Amino acid sequence: MADRFPDYDVLAKRDSLSWNDKTRAVVDARIATSEPDVLSEPERAVLRRLVDRIVPQPEGRAPVNAAALLLEKIAADRGDGYRHARLPKVREAWERGLAAIDTEARERHGTGFAALDNRQADSVIQAIQQGDVCAAQWEAIPADLFWSYRILPDIVSAYYAHPSAWSAMGFGGPASPRGYVRLETNRRDSWEAAERAPDAVVPASERNRHVR
Amino acid sequence: MSDKQSDGPRATGGRAPDVFTPGGWVPMRSHEDSEEVDFVIVGTGAGGGTLACKLAESGFSVVAMDAGPYWRPLEDFASDETEQQKLYWTDERIVDGENPIAMGSNNSGKSVGGSTVHFAMVSLRMRPEHFATRSKLGYGVDWPIGWEEMWRYYAEVEQALKIAGPVRYPWGPKRGRYPMRAHPMNAAANYLARGAEALGVDWTQTPVATLSAPHGKAHPCVYRGFCAIGCSTNAKQSVLVSWLPRALKAGAEIRDLAMVGRIETVNGRCTGVHYHREGEWHFQRARNVVVAGYAIETPRLLLNSANAEFPDGLANSSGLVGRNLMVQLNQAAWGHVEDDVRSYKGPPSLAVCEHWNYEDRGKDYAGGWSYMSQGPLPISWAKTLAGGRGLWGQALIDEMARNNHTVGLKMVGEVLPDARNRVTLTDETDQYGLRIPRITFAYSDNDRAMMAHATDFMDRSLEATGATDRWKEMGDTAHLNGTARMGHDRRTSVVDADCRSWDIPNLWVCDGSVFPTVGGVNPSLTIQAIACRTADRIRTMAAQGEL
Amino acid sequence: MAASHADIVATRLIAGGAAALAFSVFADSGLEHYRGSFANPTMVLPIGSAVLGLTMNGRRSAKPESSGSEVPTISHVGSAAIGVIGLGFHAYNILKRPGGASFNNLFYGAPAGAPATLILSGMLGGIADRMAKGEETIATLGLRSGRMVAGVVSIGILGSVAEAGLLHFRGAYHDPFMWLPVTLPPVAALSLARDVVSDEAHSITTGLLAATAALGLIGVGFHAYGVARNMGGFRNWRQNILAGPPLPAPPAFTGLAIAGLGALLLMKKGSRRG
Repeated sequence: MADRFPDYDVLAKRDSLSWNDKTRAVVDARIATSEPDVLSEPERAVLRRLVDRIVPQPEGRAPVNAAALLLEKIAADRGDGYRHARLPKVREAWERGLAAIDTEARERHGTGFAALDNRQADSVIQAIQQGDVCAAQWEAIPADLFWSYRILPDIVSAYYAHPSAWSAMGFGGPASPRGYVRLETNRRDSWEAAERAPDAVVPASERNRHVR
Repeated sequence: MSDKQSDGPRATGGRAPDVFTPGGWVPMRSHEDSEEVDFVIVGTGAGGGTLACKLAESGFSVVAMDAGPYWRPLEDFASDETEQQKLYWTDERIVDGENPIAMGSNNSGKSVGGSTVHFAMVSLRMRPEHFATRSKLGYGVDWPIGWEEMWRYYAEVEQALKIAGPVRYPWGPKRGRYPMRAHPMNAAANYLARGAEALGVDWTQTPVATLSAPHGKAHPCVYRGFCAIGCSTNAKQSVLVSWLPRALKAGAEIRDLAMVGRIETVNGRCTGVHYHREGEWHFQRARNVVVAGYAIETPRLLLNSANAEFPDGLANSSGLVGRNLMVQLNQAAWGHVEDDVRSYKGPPSLAVCEHWNYEDRGKDYAGGWSYMSQGPLPISWAKTLAGGRGLWGQALIDEMARNNHTVGLKMVGEVLPDARNRVTLTDETDQYGLRIPRITFAYSDNDRAMMAHATDFMDRSLEATGATDRWKEMGDTAHLNGTARMGHDRRTSVVDADCRSWDIPNLWVCDGSVFPTVGGVNPSLTIQAIACRTADRIRTMAAQGEL
Repeated sequence: MAASHADIVATRLIAGGAAALAFSVFADSGLEHYRGSFANPTMVLPIGSAVLGLTMNGRRSAKPESSGSEVPTISHVGSAAIGVIGLGFHAYNILKRPGGASFNNLFYGAPAGAPATLILSGMLGGIADRMAKGEETIATLGLRSGRMVAGVVSIGILGSVAEAGLLHFRGAYHDPFMWLPVTLPPVAALSLARDVVSDEAHSITTGLLAATAALGLIGVGFHAYGVARNMGGFRNWRQNILAGPPLPAPPAFTGLAIAGLGALLLMKKGSRRG
């Protein structure tokens, strides 16, 4: 699908009043995050492939280091404040789950998950989503819980923590000290994204280039 | 999370952070551990923080402890969902039962100021009849406090928090003028209003605890929309910026990063609390102990404090500590509209409909609910779409890109007390060596009937405004209440109307745990009203020598 | 009849007041309609009209004799007409919102009374113009006694008070000084109205109008303080100029009060003559 918010970049506002120092510091650090030394390389390859399929990145947008951000969480074994009684902690859950995914791929398609083509990879993911799995490893980690407590929330939380993902959805991004003035329907502050519209007098891309 | 206040506690050495000034400090009275203070309060949220202020202003010596850090919002808060996870209680808790509850960001704060640092500021009064559901409406259990008294305390809290609300409120008995005027409605709120008008029910601007005009050193709201992850402008009247500065001025001491692990008792009375701070355990002596840790940590502490005198935990002769955990139903209806809505602007819930709190006819279930307009932030919305609708891959990315055209209505619905929904202890321990809680929850048939009615009604409201591609989010819950309920009878409740334990006369519980029922409104205003009442009662009892 | 010195000064004052009103409209509608993203193209009209009115009235104030040109008349009639149309648009903007004529829509919808300022500017400008041309009446109403101008000013001040009262109520009168524009100007307006009825200019009215004029200027200072108290202060001007208290609104009082002083001058002259 064509980019709804052509040339809109939340980061263009980085040095404006929409960002305070704290925000600049944490987002800068996030963008610069690279994969920490956690999990085995084959496990990481499965995780990267999984992230690619759960949140396929739009063309023409800056890449999101979602896998690195997720690995950082796994390395820190950082929970969310609750754990389902039938699940182990974050890191162990991912270790078991990635192993199960890889085996599931081998049993279904004769090759590891990281090497599957998009269609095959998606069929494995659908199987997990529907609880229709056959690999024995799932006994160590219930597929439905791994799906709903780890795969989905962990991956989308990593992906939508990145300014590039904010830009693609036309989100205003950080907003402090400057917030917003025009709250009403169909109103946009000049520091917000403009959406592509066929009848626009000024093209959205032109407006978006002036967002500061 | 980059900033875990790694330099240790801030409120030490006779000073506490000035929340209104970057890098600033305010003087704070300090107490030695060996000094027997009048009150030690565990938790500084809506219950504990409010009570600390009111008790200090009444002249009692008060030490209030919080396991979380003492933030200065102006310099510590980012406009960033991930970073602001630091506001949540993310220590491990086990969830189970038929419908395990999402904790963490969903309902649990770990900061000085408690969950009010990240609450959505909705400040509604409970309907009068909801304080006596058993005798007036035939379900649940009655509160030991009458509604008129609670409504008087609501007025006090609304004044203290400078609640911005509508000039006329459409439901319930006449109430006084809100101290500040309602905020402008954003597009999302307008969709609620239009839908309500189409369906023939009243609506109004949500009374919210964020300033619509300057107040003291606090700025008015700038409509940045990050309310639920902490307000970086101090417009939000959290306990951190409202009651606690007053508490400090009145001589209360607040100890941040102080985790209370056990309450000590001797001869049936509390003598103080064991707390962990700066790497070691301390013991603060106190004449009275108030537990205000919210509906998980409160029963956890009472149960973890079991000793030879009280082998089943403190205040637990009824066996009800940890029982009757009540969340609130938080189901939603969502849809798409042609209009550019951009619900990320402004407080998330600027319009409310309380029709179904006040209308009992036409329901095949007991209880009330309200619903409000919504404005989820990206991560929260992505998790909703992924978890609630099963979207992933290109479908998720595409749907996220339509976020500016999404409108939603979300309910806050009354869950009935059920002793099977409860908090217990596991054998697993946390970083302090304390047993962690297990939270067991299942919806009842009544809950499901309410959900069905509410999601159907909200969906029709969206339909009436022309929304398409509508869907219902059926999984979410909000808020926590009821694990140390108050009542008239020591056999069926944990504390009395004054929040005083039936079993231990100098042990009090003052937070959402004491709710016998929850009604269909967000609980923060009610918790603060209870705290104000409790403080008044304590002052009266102290004057009469009844403490 | 040759214009007396008092007539000339009064003309200057009335035109000056009209110019101040036009300036207030120019800045206020400029900001507010910018905030409204000029969603309706006619939202540029009051700005253009106010610029023209400001020019005409400014010149009239500096040069109180008419050259006989009809351009000022067109400008002033245009201002009044655009103001009337604006009232209609603003009423529609308020009423089409959910809740209709509710407080919240009056607070945050298009300001109901604002276009009336443009009408007042047009009326006062028109009067000053007629006086500069040496005319004695508008329709059947006598110009020279000053009573008509005073009446217009009195009603205008009360209208502005209503608007300030509504918007300061929106701000919950969080600062005690916010009571000033709803206490002092009404007294001035009523004193002026009494003078109109009794056809006698009291010096207390002069004092009250002078105070009202000063209040309009001081109000800008208060509003600037209000802007500074918003998050980010003037550094965040792109938000706070729009979201904070409107800087150009209070001078409307100044404009009206100055015109009122002109009217008083005429009334005093009349009583001396009588």
